[in-house]
Amino acid sequence: MFNAEKFIEKTIPNLQKDIQKKALIAFSGGVDSTVCAALVNKAIGDRLIAVHVNTGYMRKNEPEQVKQMMEDLSFNYRFVDASKEYYAALKGVEDPEKKRKIIGEKFIRIFEKVAREEKVDCLVQGTIAPDWIESGGGLRDTIKSHHNVGGLPKDMKLKLAEPLRDLYKDEVRKVARVLHLKVSERQPFPGPGLAIRIIGEPTPERTELVREACDIVEKEIERASEQGLMECPWQYFAVLIPIKTVGVHGDKRAYGNTIAIRAVQSIDAMTCHYSTIPHEVLDTISTKITNTMKEKVNRIVYDVTNKPPGTVEWE
Amino acid sequence: MVRIYVIDNGGQWTHREWRTLRDLEVQTNIVPNTTLFKDLQKEKIQGLVLSGGAPRIGLDGSLGNCAEYLEKANFPILGICAGHQFMARFFGGEVKPSKIPEFGQVEMTLIKDDDALFEGVLKKSIVWESHNDEVTVLPKDFVRIAESENCKIQAMKQKKKQFYGLQFHPEVEHTEYGEHIFKNFIQLCEG
Repeated sequence: MFNAEKFIEKTIPNLQKDIQKKALIAFSGGVDSTVCAALVNKAIGDRLIAVHVNTGYMRKNEPEQVKQMMEDLSFNYRFVDASKEYYAALKGVEDPEKKRKIIGEKFIRIFEKVAREEKVDCLVQGTIAPDWIESGGGLRDTIKSHHNVGGLPKDMKLKLAEPLRDLYKDEVRKVARVLHLKVSERQPFPGPGLAIRIIGEPTPERTELVREACDIVEKEIERASEQGLMECPWQYFAVLIPIKTVGVHGDKRAYGNTIAIRAVQSIDAMTCHYSTIPHEVLDTISTKITNTMKEKVNRIVYDVTNKPPGTVEWE
Repeated sequence: MVRIYVIDNGGQWTHREWRTLRDLEVQTNIVPNTTLFKDLQKEKIQGLVLSGGAPRIGLDGSLGNCAEYLEKANFPILGICAGHQFMARFFGGEVKPSKIPEFGQVEMTLIKDDDALFEGVLKKSIVWESHNDEVTVLPKDFVRIAESENCKIQAMKQKKKQFYGLQFHPEVEHTEYGEHIFKNFIQLCEG
């Protein structure tokens, strides 16, 4: 079995050897990048700069929470608000692969800028096995370009260090627990963020919609899990399907968007079973979303697709 | 420690096969399918897993040097998905696009219940699938071990050698007896 203590023991000296000068870590605040940052921080201390980019596609209150986390972990950090730039770059973009590539490249350009200012020569990423497997290359087909692999531009000038490359999420969580990191049980959130939870163009308005819906789904499912009504899924969120259907609101015709609820059980994200959320919980979520967002959303559907044939995220 | 390598044919779950073997304390490595047989011999391997492949290569692709391994190996080989399909073609069977492809959860039934690879596996169990093509004609000297509603050859074995082909994926978490099947395979490799 995977031994987290041994992994840490082996990784730290390797990082000390690999990173001669200063390094920068792409820090999202999720389990992978936090574990990665904590390991590199142990290896080279303040020579590591954690950079968090607010893409505008983060969840509700997430940028503030990540900032607090970097404070709590006493990292040497930079916080970059690039939301306007991201919205502009994704204007009119509907294709999921294009979204991922644009977001991936933008990340790197921002990191390169910080790298120049800080005289950093190494980029650390919390890439894990499914990221590079699904990104394809060589014999392997591209299922989706993960922003940290397939989205990397060919002319990138920084040296790359990815200490978690051979690990799966369950193993990363084990390392997180040994390092006593609070994020160890946090649900995964994709690098491209809410942009890939909006089918079609990820406009700022649509982002607000899916952000609100995601927040409701997360809160209600977490509440139900705490009350023992269900097992907390591996990942759970909302997807905005900008297809309008007819409804009725207090004797008045409504014509609004659709939100899909997605929740899956998995160990390593390579295969997933859709979660069996109790109907009463689905009911609460449905009512809450349609009532609080009634101007925009009047239909809720539940995704019952496994992986394969589906993937966890819709794009 | 037994030494079993994974031949990478470009499948999405190649690395999962490696992980399962590693979790079971096997000395393992992922090697490209262009590796020469003599280089594998030098490493003193005791078994091979032929991984699944990039889309549709089980149907008519050459899968690098997999033919050489099947021709020369005297140790057990486990072909998975495209690796299984290639094994069937190599020994004279046929592979065709599935009438009804299978993705995700499927119930598998054992039709031969005394096989070493499936020892301890229930007659009916849940396996996970991801295939567009399948073996439609069993190669000479092979026996059929398992089937599902829409795929008659879910598992097959060479009568004399320890060569197995599996259409389903024992390496993924959701296959009920996946790790158990790997344990049995490791025992076969230990001899």
